[in-house]
Order: sequence, then C-alpha cells, then structure tokens
Amino acid sequence: MDDARITELALRARDGHRDAAGEFVAATQQQVWRLLVHLADAAVAEELAQETYERALGSLRRYRGEAPARNWLLSIARRVAADHLRRRARRPVSPAEPAEDDRPVGRAPRPDPAESVAVRDALDALDGDRREAFVLTQVVGLSYEEAAAVCGCPIGTIRSRVARARADLVDALSEPPAAERPPRSG
Amino acid sequence: MTGNHTIPGDDQHGMDCDRCREAMSAALDGESDAAEQARVDAHLDGCAACRAWRRDAETVTRRARTGVAEPGPDLVALVLDAAPGPRARWRGTAARAGLAVVGAVQAVLGLTSLLGASMQHDAMADSIVVLGAGMAHATHESAAWNLALGVAFLAGALWTRHLAGLLPALGAFIAVLAVLSGIDLLAGRVEPARVVSHVVLVVGFVLGIAVVRAAPRSGPAPTPGGRWWARGEGPVAPHGAPAPDAARWERESDVA
Ligand SMILES: [Zn+2]
Repeated sequence: MDDARITELALRARDGHRDAAGEFVAATQQQVWRLLVHLADAAVAEELAQETYERALGSLRRYRGEAPARNWLLSIARRVAADHLRRRARRPVSPAEPAEDDRPVGRAPRPDPAESVAVRDALDALDGDRREAFVLTQVVGLSYEEAAAVCGCPIGTIRSRVARARADLVDALSEPPAAERPPRSG
Repeated sequence: MTGNHTIPGDDQHGMDCDRCREAMSAALDGESDAAEQARVDAHLDGCAACRAWRRDAETVTRRARTGVAEPGPDLVALVLDAAPGPRARWRGTAARAGLAVVGAVQAVLGLTSLLGASMQHDAMADSIVVLGAGMAHATHESAAWNLALGVAFLAGALWTRHLAGLLPALGAFIAVLAVLSGIDLLAGRVEPARVVSHVVLVVGFVLGIAVVRAAPRSGPAPTPGGRWWARGEGPVAPHGAPAPDAARWERESDVA
C-alpha cells in the first residue's frame, strides 16, 4: 500500500472513521512490528506495537498530514522503543525480563530457525544507530529519505550508518557459519 | 569494524575503500547515481578487497532481508478495542474543560472564605475551642482545604494521569460531608447557601471520574513528575512531529 493511501487512511481515522483506523493499522502493523522487534526485542514487540498505536491514535487529532503518515507512525514507534529501553535501563534487575537465552524459545514460528537466529544475533550486536538505520532501510523497507525523516537526521547520516552496519554484518556473518556451536543438551 | 583499507595509488581514482564501500552499499539500496558508480567501478578495477566485500555485502543484505521476515501478530482488533471512539474522546475533552472550570470556581470559593475568615478574625471572639483549635483556626483549615481542592481539580484537568489518585480521598470526604451537612441542616446549624457550595465538590468529583475513564490507558504506571519533562522532551509533545529529540540519537562517529 502506498504512502498517499496510508496518509489518507490516517486522516480519515482522525475524522472518526473507525474502519479507516482499522485499515491504517492493518496496512502498517507489519512494519511497526519489525521495527520494534529489532529496536527493542521480540518478547515485548507486541506490547510496544500496541502502545505505538495507542499513542498514534491518541495524537491523531494533531496530525495534519504534512508528513506521510507511515513515517509519522514509525517515528512514534521508534520513540516507544527508546522509552522502553530507557525504562528497562532504569530497572536493570527487573525479574520480569526474560534472560537472553530464553528469548527465541516458543516464540512465533520462523522460516529457518538457525538462519534467522544467526541474522538476528548479528543485527542485535550492531551499534544502536547503525541497527536502526539498517532495519529501517532493509527490514522495514524505507528509502534513505524516509528513514532520515523517521530518525530526524540527514540522509547522508543514514547512508553512512547503513554502510557501516553492512560492513559490521559482513564481518559477523561471513565468519564460518555458527553451526559448530555445541548443541544444547537438556 | 573494517578499518581503513588504503591502497597505494588509491587517490587517483578519487575514492578510498571506505567511501567506495559506502557507495556500493548505497547502490545495493538503489540510492546511488551514475557518476558515483563510475568512480566505484574505477576503484574496483584496482581493488580485490572491495570486490570481495561487494559479494559479501550482497549476500549479507539478502540474508538480512529474508532471514528475519517473521510475521507479526494481527493487532487490528486489539488496537481498535483500546482506542477511544470520537465520542469518548469528545467526552474526555469536555470533562477536562468542565473540571478546569469547577477547579477555578472551587479555588475562588476557598480563597473567598479564607479572606472572609481573616477579616472576621478580629471581630470574632475565640470563645469556643475544639480539640485545640479556636473557631478562627478551624475556619482557616476548612478554607485552606477548599482552596487546595480547587488547585487539585485544576491540576487534574491539566495532568490527567495524577487525577485517579485524588478520587478515593475526595469520595470519602464528600460522603462524610454529605451526612454531616444533612444533620447540620436539620439542626439549623448551617445556612443552606453554604451547603449548596459543596455541590461544586460533587460536580468536580463526577467530572474527575469521567476524565479518568476517558483517558487512554498508557503502558507503564504513572511516575509522578518523571515521565515527560525529566527527559527534556517537554510536556507538550511526547509524540507528534518527529524532529525535536533527534539530536540525541546522532553520534559524531556516524556523521561523516
Ligand atoms: Zn578498495
């Protein structure tokens, strides 16, 4: 679905059309979800996605349609993720957070577990700004210009961050594959 | 980190390895132009390391784009259920405006009785002393309390997150006051006008409940004073236009 259509849906949702709000969510939720999976983590992505839409729908009144609605929404998602990380940093020993190793077990089914875990680990290991730029452009599928709008930074910054992220991933993923990891027994 | 790959004679192509790789990265995303491509090609002719990097980068990009494509949950129903309808939103706004008005009225009432109490103070002989307080002081206390409630209503209309905490105490106060007012009215100990002024409190209480109900539930529990302004984002726009907090996300190392 193109940006103009999504923006139109957002404006109609603002004017009280519930079906437009539903379509707006349906059209954008995959991208919001993916962004949050990578900026925060999969265990909380659903909760954060809901918070994103809650904030977005709550502030639709102030949305005038100057920026494409999808960028506007993703910048809210980005802020929700940042708030989440800040909250988590403030409470470092929260017992509710699952340990890193417990995370992928039993979550949504994946096409190829080993491959996606390797890629996810490599992405997670990236510097935060680089990961954000890379995820926005490669996983969410934004252009550099759109990613720059979402992050509020110059296009050149996105371009160099994406390149550095790629270089880091080349280093991480071109190592011999992680298959030699000792299999977990238990 | 890849570091600097400087190759002797590199400068003649006008591009070193880092800039070449950035350009190749942009090209993989369709964000490069022909002039830049020409310089990349010139560099690649003399640089095997960058030719290998391009192959790796293509592979890595493909893996990153496809390897993490897990479907997310469908949130449409959840989000729509949680979202206030336009009616509820309008009601919430109206209730907040009403609460602000009631708060102002209540504050004026409190202030008036405070001033009135001060003026009467000299005229009144403090003959009756109950639990260590003379009439004048008891009047002061009640006036201060009324003024405080007005301020609390006003603050609740502005910062709705903190309103819920006020309601139980206020409810108890109103319940006790209603019973006592009834008794005092029957016994002729209070003028009806004074009792009518308590209606303002009841209205504020009801509006407070309406505001709390209409407010969107937000994720974390309220942390008084800490949520918005401690972060320097300002209380007005926690969300909305993307720009203001962008600077914090930038790092010098990443700004070419
Ligand atoms: Zn080179």
